[in-house]
Amino acid sequence: MKKFWVLVLLSCIAIFTVACSGKDTKTEGEAGEKKPNAEQTLKIANDQEPAGLDPHKTPAASSVRIYSQVYEGLLTFDKDMKIVGQLAEKWEQPDDLTYVFNLVKGVKFHNGREMTAEDVKYSFERILDEKTASHIKSYFANIDSVEAVDPTTVKFTLAKPDATFLANLTHSSAVVVAKEVVEEKGDLQQTAVGTGPFKFEKWVPDNSVTLTKNPDYYIKDTPKLDKVVYYTMKEESARLSAIRTGEIDFTTVSAKSAELLGKSKDLTIKPYQSLEYSYVGFNVNNKPLNDEKVRQALSLATDRQSIADIVWNGDAVISGPVAPSMSDWAIDVTKEEFYQKDQDKAKTLLAEAGYPDGFEIVITTASTYPDMVDTAQLLQQQWKEIGVKATIKQIEWGDYIDTWSNKKADILIGRNGSGTDPDRALNYFFHSTGSANVWNFADKNFDSIVEKGKQTIDTGERKQLYTQAQKELLNLSPNLFLVSPMNFVAVRNNVEGFTPYPHNAQNIIGVSIK
Amino acid sequence: MKEFFVKLSHDKVGIMGFTGIFLVVIIGLFSPWIAPYSPEKMFTSHVMEGPSSQFLFGTDEFGRDILSRIILGTQVSLKVGLISVGIGASMGLLFGLISGYFQGKVDSIIMRVMDVLFAFPDILLALAIVAVLGPSLSNTMIAIGIVFTPVFTRTVRAAVISVKESEYITSAVAIGVSPVKIIMKHITPNILAPFIVQISLALSGAILTEAALSFLGLGIQPPNPSWGGMLDASRTYMEFAPWTILFPAAAIVFTIFCFNLFGDSLRDILDPKMRKS
Amino acid sequence: MMYAYITRRLLMLIPVLFGVSIFIFVMMRVVPGDVAMTILGTDATPESLAQLRKEFGLNLPLHQQYLNWMGGVLSGDFGESMRSGQAVLPDILSRFTITFELTLLSALISWIIAIPMGIIAAIRHNTKTDFSVRMVSLLGVSVPNFAMATVLILVLALFFSYSPPVGYIGFFEDPLRNLQILILPSLVLGTGMAGAVMRMTRSSVLEILRQDFIRTIRAKGARERVIIFDHALRNAMIPILTIIGMQVGTLLGGAVIIEQIFSLPGLGQLVLTAITQRDFTVVQGSVLFIAFVFVMINLLVDVLYSYLDPRINYK
Repeated sequence: MKKFWVLVLLSCIAIFTVACSGKDTKTEGEAGEKKPNAEQTLKIANDQEPAGLDPHKTPAASSVRIYSQVYEGLLTFDKDMKIVGQLAEKWEQPDDLTYVFNLVKGVKFHNGREMTAEDVKYSFERILDEKTASHIKSYFANIDSVEAVDPTTVKFTLAKPDATFLANLTHSSAVVVAKEVVEEKGDLQQTAVGTGPFKFEKWVPDNSVTLTKNPDYYIKDTPKLDKVVYYTMKEESARLSAIRTGEIDFTTVSAKSAELLGKSKDLTIKPYQSLEYSYVGFNVNNKPLNDEKVRQALSLATDRQSIADIVWNGDAVISGPVAPSMSDWAIDVTKEEFYQKDQDKAKTLLAEAGYPDGFEIVITTASTYPDMVDTAQLLQQQWKEIGVKATIKQIEWGDYIDTWSNKKADILIGRNGSGTDPDRALNYFFHSTGSANVWNFADKNFDSIVEKGKQTIDTGERKQLYTQAQKELLNLSPNLFLVSPMNFVAVRNNVEGFTPYPHNAQNIIGVSIK
Repeated sequence: MKEFFVKLSHDKVGIMGFTGIFLVVIIGLFSPWIAPYSPEKMFTSHVMEGPSSQFLFGTDEFGRDILSRIILGTQVSLKVGLISVGIGASMGLLFGLISGYFQGKVDSIIMRVMDVLFAFPDILLALAIVAVLGPSLSNTMIAIGIVFTPVFTRTVRAAVISVKESEYITSAVAIGVSPVKIIMKHITPNILAPFIVQISLALSGAILTEAALSFLGLGIQPPNPSWGGMLDASRTYMEFAPWTILFPAAAIVFTIFCFNLFGDSLRDILDPKMRKS
Repeated sequence: MMYAYITRRLLMLIPVLFGVSIFIFVMMRVVPGDVAMTILGTDATPESLAQLRKEFGLNLPLHQQYLNWMGGVLSGDFGESMRSGQAVLPDILSRFTITFELTLLSALISWIIAIPMGIIAAIRHNTKTDFSVRMVSLLGVSVPNFAMATVLILVLALFFSYSPPVGYIGFFEDPLRNLQILILPSLVLGTGMAGAVMRMTRSSVLEILRQDFIRTIRAKGARERVIIFDHALRNAMIPILTIIGMQVGTLLGGAVIIEQIFSLPGLGQLVLTAITQRDFTVVQGSVLFIAFVFVMINLLVDVLYSYLDPRINYK
């Protein structure tokens, strides 16, 4: 029977030889990359599969980071969050309701056709068309008409003054698409033809999306890369292992992993402050959360710094309803009354509200995101100190979205993106008629401030209004705003020219491989 | 019965399994008294510390004592194992007896329903059921129980059919003994062997399924300590805090290993075909 | 005789698959949340939600939705993914090849480990060898495979600076690379399967060895090797085949977790993602497909079984 043992041994050896042969090919690959004319291919690993590629219909971040390389809009943000032109060379505003854009000349779609003002008109009409069910329709609800004055001039007429209009044009979904492609394919979910630096080549589901260089790009010598491949790797451990061994060049990682990878000499960690903040949402119609004193007490019982320390490894800043990375608009919340941890005051407020012994409540959170589950666990412990006995209910994503939109939970943990303009963070999320106000929050005073804010063009005046709005929100606490995390991108050292910034975390247009 | 224990005492594998299970059950029963700290207590100044005299197995990302969580987790895991297998086994016993005894139309209906359940991949079925019922400890157990029902039904049914054809049952039917009495008195005792073997194996399956559900985010609700949940949460910290994954993994592997050893030994002992020697 | 049996079994599949289709359809409607919500997320407005639901036919009465779907399925059209617009059936088929290969490889690994070990344990029944073989193989089944997989990935990366190549490539495009991608997940799944196969091999060989005809052969002075390979193993193959068939069936249903950890674009990943996104057409289509494959495998095993064991009579 010894033969069988030999057989077992041999098969083990065979398996390991196969496994190790991979290592050998790898070292050859690395040697190749060190040559001066390195292959200009960037391999990116993402944690989620794109949900579809239609920029007008797909808000998922996993899709945005890919179609943003293919499509362009009229305007964009630069790294200091200032509005600059993209497809629009310059623009003017003859009156409060009219915007005229002069387009960059000689821009071609990837199918070779020249992009004109008609395409801009078509794209916005598509966004506004009810049948498209576009997620950004509400951003442009004030548009009265779009007119192609001549091939390179397009005129927008608004129904009423809208201070957010230019900022909304920078939205990664407010991009110009080609009519003939939409008509041929029905929609743009499976294909992508834009004017951007990269052309869509192929999408192998749950595996990879490949983009290639657009040789006719209107900015000279851009992009430098010949090819970008996005791999879907859901497991962080798999992404870490792949970037360590050089199988991939570029990936997003969690704060804890960033700390680990930072020690490696082959890698660089690029941090940036995200536009997101985490929150605790209260359904303000339900007892006992209908009493603002209860909400304020919970705010006082919350230790935001320990959430930043434990959930985000210390790499997060305390945030209000407008994330601190929107530095022009965000107020400094650290001095705010209800941001000072004070259990005695919290207990007094609870007693005043009629709950001297606290109460029982359920915190709902999404199991998909460990940070939300961890936040819930910390809050449970912190609130216990003032007698609030919370139970955690973690649910999977589909259920969570349903709970969110149908206001099914008393307390919901989540994360919001501040968007491109404070109007989004304040009006859209907290106006009594705002689509994303799922908290039953209604305050006349707040409503009138943010309505005014949307129509006030003067920046200084606007800023004053939004400061007032933010203070009002902190005081009424329909949500507890917690912290805004840093995000981290790990890149191999052979990747040059990459700097992430909040509005464009995967800004690879200037990247090259050394 | 006596013969059974004699045989068990001769099988080293069985003894090891049995001793291990006994140990785990004791820990589970007395966990609140054995655990040095509350499993939910966060020692915020001792976050992610390695094993020390204060925290024998180290602490997790919240500064909770891992040893205490593992000890309390024993209770959770055993509960999940026992109750879910209990659900699956009793439903399987019921349907299997009815199906095997009466055969005919009832049998086809029951077995087709079981075929439908059986045709679903285990983990997806459990996932779908938990998603429908909403995640909680009891729903997790119900889901795992339903997943196991077809296997038990088939085991019982096959055994019933083989017993039913034996002469003494045929003669009992002939003299007009009621079906309930025949099932209770004659059939049930005779099918216990394959049934018990199946139970011992399903126990380890149930604990593993709970761990898998935890991985998919639909396990036991935090901050309740479940081994699967601890294993899942610590995967991210594996590299710089290996103790956060090492000890829960050891606990789960040990327990399942013991159940498997015991089950394997039971199978040897109770298998009628093996009795000849 | 055999044909009649197979035909009868095939006919029996119809109610089962019908049941599966109803079951999964109802499940997906009962689970909270729908695809329109998961697509739009916080950008949803009541109008856009209504428009999307209309587009996907989710505003129709339930029986109408079911009939529309079933009508399509019966004519070979599984519809399109509600989320990505991808045609469902081609996607299922291309992913199935990956899951199929993964299954075969893991089964192969488990046989290589388990069958020899099972035979050895049976021959040396109640010896130290038997004991250690049983211990090792049972230990293999006892490790949750997601834990084993993550540890394996980390250890290989840290200590051998090896990680499997990224981006799945089909076997016929690049066999070597394909095997490199699949070997680790297959190892993890294979060791998990090995325990059960070993156990079955051991007990059936044991059973056969004790039977009278083996005693007779032995008494006639046949060599031990002949006894084992010519007689015992051949007869023991029947129950072993059954367990292998069952496991292959289960694995084909998608090694959900392992596929996710190793980023393999297989069937399991497809269903899992589709469930969380409430992509009804994809969930329904792939679950139906998986159930079909599973029952076919079971049928195949039963047929093989009767072919190998002429004593069994199918009426």
